[in-house]
Amino acid sequence: MKDPYSVLGLNPNATDDEVKQAYRELAKKYHPDNFQNSPLAGYATKKMAEINEAYDQIISERRAAKKNAESEYYDYNAADVQNNSNYIDVRSLINSGRFDDAEMILNGVPVEGRDAEWYFLNGVIKSNKGWLDEAYGCFQTACNMDPSNREYNAAFNRIKNSRSGVGGYDRGGNFVCCTPCDICSGLICTDCLCDCCCNSF
Amino acid sequence: MFGYLRPVKPELKVREYETYKSAYCGLCRYIGMDYGIISRLTLSYDCTLLAMLIMSLKNESVNFSQKRCVLNPLKKCCFCLSGGESYRFAGAVSVIMTYYKFEDIILDSGFFKKTAAKLLKLLFYRSHEKAKKAYPEIEEIAKTMVTEQAEIEKNKNAGIDPSAEPTATAVSRLCMLIGSDDDEIMILREFGYYLGRWIYLIDAADDYFKDKKSSSFNPFVNKFKKNEELDNLEISDYCNATLNHTAAMAVSAFNLLNLRLHKPILENIMNLGLAYMQRKCLFIDKRKYLERSDANERSV
Repeated sequence: MKDPYSVLGLNPNATDDEVKQAYRELAKKYHPDNFQNSPLAGYATKKMAEINEAYDQIISERRAAKKNAESEYYDYNAADVQNNSNYIDVRSLINSGRFDDAEMILNGVPVEGRDAEWYFLNGVIKSNKGWLDEAYGCFQTACNMDPSNREYNAAFNRIKNSRSGVGGYDRGGNFVCCTPCDICSGLICTDCLCDCCCNSF
Repeated sequence: MFGYLRPVKPELKVREYETYKSAYCGLCRYIGMDYGIISRLTLSYDCTLLAMLIMSLKNESVNFSQKRCVLNPLKKCCFCLSGGESYRFAGAVSVIMTYYKFEDIILDSGFFKKTAAKLLKLLFYRSHEKAKKAYPEIEEIAKTMVTEQAEIEKNKNAGIDPSAEPTATAVSRLCMLIGSDDDEIMILREFGYYLGRWIYLIDAADDYFKDKKSSSFNPFVNKFKKNEELDNLEISDYCNATLNHTAAMAVSAFNLLNLRLHKPILENIMNLGLAYMQRKCLFIDKRKYLERSDANERSV
């Protein structure tokens, strides 16, 4: 078993706040939500479990020592699985990572027989392949066909979030960078400074 | 499709900026040493990122030295000279990819551009042969990419995802070559895939109006062909959303990498550089381009 402090990247005399902060940052990085429908999900979940375990161990050790420290961690529940699925075989293929086979079965469904779940599962497969644009279209169609389904809505919202510039560029938001105006004002400032030291001109 | 992966300079510390510059100069020097002076022209920001990423993952110790610049002998530049293997790899990628870029231009351009590309290709012939011998795996990746791309472009209505696939896969396979254990290789595969996809898509979005005018192949033109009612801003917004999503996937894989060196610089490129480039290509340059073409039309 690894040293819990090294898992969190801390040394053993870190304060409680530092432990919490380190835990939060790692949890943000490895949180399975970032890797939904991605082949890295397994790796991230494994890491997340390690971090949770290390954090729990540190916290319980400290609690035993102080008896009043609080434990707090992100609780991750897998998305609700539909019980009345029409595509149980496809879902189990997806869960075991056999996306090509799952895709082949889905492609066999005639166009007029394709329901909301078909589009949702197709979106999951496309997303795993990295075909983000088609995945977006599929989740959108699934939500339009069945607007009340929580599973489809969760997938669609996640994809909408990524598209609207969390970490990317959002036209409406602020972005710190240099505009022509900044350059001009920069030059004016430089000029003023020049005047300070060489007052001959 | 070169030159889109850059750091945002105002957000770098001075020493980070100096390090980046010396890695750039160091790569230039290694390309010069390995493939001759003409091949130095293939130097790009993208391959600098690749070299720095390898140095960072392998923790190759860095030392700096000052030498004169070839292009401007009056200037003394700082060179980051360690990390020989990472420079050699990035240099080979640079030479081979440039060679195939010409091949691509020859396939789908007009007479004058085609002739120019043929001449340039001849010029790079020998360095390409040398790189091919040293790194046959890179050669194979580039060749597959070009043939698959040509195959897809035969379909004049190809969608965004299939069009981006060959570049994404090629970058993914390149990145996998630099991984050292299974976990790292798996992360690099995802990272490379989305980075390659981002590079392809930003290039396509950047050339949108040019390709639309000359009716060259462009997945975004294919996508919006049917919706004539969309205005340019809406199109830019759609491209931006696709790029955001791709960048977000690349960044979440990137965050899992164990970076031992140059971390702030690489983070700057991934977290700010990509977004900045999207803004520049989709909302600043594009507006300028449209204003210019409007003015031309009015004067005619």
